[in-house]
Amino acid sequence: MRGQFPLKMAVGATAIMLLAAGCSGGGDDETSAADALVSIGIGEPQHLIPSNTTESNGAEVLAALFSPLVDFDADNKPYTVAAESVESTDNKVWTVKLKDGYTFHNGEKVGADNYINAWNHAAYGPNGNGGSYFMERVEGYKDLQSEDPDGDGPQKAPDPKAKTLTGLKKVDDLTFTVTLSEPFSGWRSVMGYTTFYPLPAAAWASEGVLKEDYEQAPIGNGPFKIKGTWQHDSKIEVERYDAYPGEKPKVGGVTYKIYQEQTAQYADLMGGALDVVTQIPIENLATAPADLGDRFKTSSNSVFQFVGFPTFLSQYSKVEVRKAISMAINRKEITDNVFRGSQTPATSFVSPAVAGYRENSCGEACTYDPAKAKAAYDAAGGPKQIKITYNADGGHKAWVDATCNQLKTNLGVDCVGVGEPKFADLLTKVENKEDVGMIRLGWIMDYPLMENYLGPLYGTGGSSNYYGYSNPEFDNLVKQGSAAPTEDEAIKLWQQAEDILARDMPVIPLRLGQNVFGHSERVKNVEVDKFQKVEILKIEATS
Amino acid sequence: MSNVESVAQAEVPGAAGVPVSPDGGPEKPRSLTGDAWDDLRRNWIFWAAAVLVVLVVVMAAFPSLFTSADPDACALSRQHQGPSGSAIFGYNFQGCDVYARTIYGARNSVLIGLFATIIAGVIGLIVGMAAGYFGGWIDAVLARGIDIVLGIPTLLAAIVLARRLSADPQDTGFWAVVFTLGVLTWTTGARIMRSSVISAKNQDYVAAARMLGAGPGRLMFRHILPNAAAPFVVVLTILLGVNISTEATLTFLGVGLKGNAISWGIDISTAAPYVRETATPLVWPSIFLAMTVLAFIMLGDAIRDAFDPRLR
Repeated sequence: MRGQFPLKMAVGATAIMLLAAGCSGGGDDETSAADALVSIGIGEPQHLIPSNTTESNGAEVLAALFSPLVDFDADNKPYTVAAESVESTDNKVWTVKLKDGYTFHNGEKVGADNYINAWNHAAYGPNGNGGSYFMERVEGYKDLQSEDPDGDGPQKAPDPKAKTLTGLKKVDDLTFTVTLSEPFSGWRSVMGYTTFYPLPAAAWASEGVLKEDYEQAPIGNGPFKIKGTWQHDSKIEVERYDAYPGEKPKVGGVTYKIYQEQTAQYADLMGGALDVVTQIPIENLATAPADLGDRFKTSSNSVFQFVGFPTFLSQYSKVEVRKAISMAINRKEITDNVFRGSQTPATSFVSPAVAGYRENSCGEACTYDPAKAKAAYDAAGGPKQIKITYNADGGHKAWVDATCNQLKTNLGVDCVGVGEPKFADLLTKVENKEDVGMIRLGWIMDYPLMENYLGPLYGTGGSSNYYGYSNPEFDNLVKQGSAAPTEDEAIKLWQQAEDILARDMPVIPLRLGQNVFGHSERVKNVEVDKFQKVEILKIEATS
Repeated sequence: MSNVESVAQAEVPGAAGVPVSPDGGPEKPRSLTGDAWDDLRRNWIFWAAAVLVVLVVVMAAFPSLFTSADPDACALSRQHQGPSGSAIFGYNFQGCDVYARTIYGARNSVLIGLFATIIAGVIGLIVGMAAGYFGGWIDAVLARGIDIVLGIPTLLAAIVLARRLSADPQDTGFWAVVFTLGVLTWTTGARIMRSSVISAKNQDYVAAARMLGAGPGRLMFRHILPNAAAPFVVVLTILLGVNISTEATLTFLGVGLKGNAISWGIDISTAAPYVRETATPLVWPSIFLAMTVLAFIMLGDAIRDAFDPRLR
């Protein structure tokens, strides 16, 4: 999920929340625990179309409605769910065999065509799908894109050359092959992402065109089916789909209650109107352990928070300057005091959530040493004024101000935090090469591979390389790693690439995230995974 | 002509007999201002308000007289520490000295209140005086204009306007708030001015001045304004207090001062979510804000009472 994390929570409309709270689905005493209804708090999803869902609210709901080809165990090893097998001999041509017996919620059988059609739709440029970039590796992707000749001007972009990916081929009803433009050993894991869910024939208005109201009541192949439609800004209800051939859910249904503010979710949890809060807001962290007792829980996730140096800003062009700034930041103090221990200091460029993570791969540069930092900063002639630009809607002001205060004290510089209203405003300023100073960024992995923390973020032209870092040696190592025949070999090469980052410091790693969640007494076995989603097949009602 | 002359003559004080004070000396002619001052001197509310206002103004002008601490020197390691010898109000979330920030916060509040009130005063003076003096269609147009601005909900309009004016996130929003408050709050002043001018312009001394050949400018500013100004000044004093409080409200809502400005509104808004942990960073700026607003409003009230003969 691209850098927009954490989720935007708009302010207002408490009336709607009260309305939602009034319709609490607590489940009556007559039904057994297996048929009980539980409720989970989310924000309003942007979309419920798999290929256009790159934020965690929509992904949370879709995970109940759809069953992925592969999922991940506790060690992030992919295992097949809807797929019988995913095989490749050369990491370039992948054969996907589907399990027999899966049906969509309208009774339709799930077949190879459902995947191929959905993926072609995802990749086709004019559809404007947020998850389109996941298809970049598939052969023929470029032919499905077209460039607008005059940017935002009046001329319309020409139609792309092709409408379907040449890399997708149907073998039989339950088998298809995916040909990549370059070998990638991690492709099996990539296919676990939301974008790769299948779509039923009933979803299409005509060939390649989705029905406009499909996302109001998505028909999926998952353990739950939608009950009614998506009630915007209020709730989304799902109920158990009895014909689901896979692992059965342990509850009868889930109500996803939609909130504008995280603090309101927490208040509802306290008031008994909500069962699960997946992210307890910072404001409540000091009191939450006492409020919730053993229902206050933490688990690791894949969030990585950092600040980047746009390469067009010459004052940060010296690596010594970037390193000195990094060494002048006391990460531990910020995670303890601002985040109340809900995040941990980052000392590497990848999250421990993926194989290949090494503690302290950033080395001295991420170790707090104010004296050395000051000496190095002065010697390298660092700028007298430092600026950190952040998006003001994500709750970043507190830690940016704290970081600035540390830099002021430790480096003797002037430091200001500048809050842009939205992340997109920040990106616009970076594109216009304005003096934004350091920029705040965050990353949740898309698929559990070390490569996901390298290629998209630092590769030349990477999808989220907003600062413009480019190093051919790095690009080469990531590419070689992706093409390596085994995961171990791949990791070795990726680790070498990470070492280059530690040397060049294009960004300063700051913090690693953690899920800090809580639940009511009505539910048990609540787990939140590394993608910040509730494990929907594990949650149970207590009575 | 002769008629007017004779009336004017009869009004000259002392012509018919100089009033004699008990000790036999001639008493100075009593003016409205003089009476009001006599009244104010004996009003403890006036003195309390005046002392507070002077204190806040000195605080805004010379904050270093009150504290030697730097309001920008913050360290997370001191987060939410309680009151101590070095920081008598304790430390806030970022580990900044709450006392120092509260003292330094006075400047923005007072300056915004002052500038906004000056803008409101100038607009109100011009519009009110023009409407009252010229009357006729000019009055009709201006008075309806006042009604229209008065009909706009101040806070709602201020939120929209302040956000539009200060779109650049690097801007502290100071002048945006000043302008917003100024252009939205001049109506009461204009109405008061209009009615005072209407009552003053029919006085005989105005007629006399006109007969003597004074033009509209001279009449308005030399003859009418001094006699119509008192209630207007009172309204502006009260408005100053109201503007300070509205500034804090806008800042609390995130559309007033922002970024690295030091202000009571910002401090109140950042401390609010942590009130269950520690209340002092919220309580002290709130008390200072409340006292300042109260001081200006009480001062205005006391002056109004003194100038209003009916309340004497």
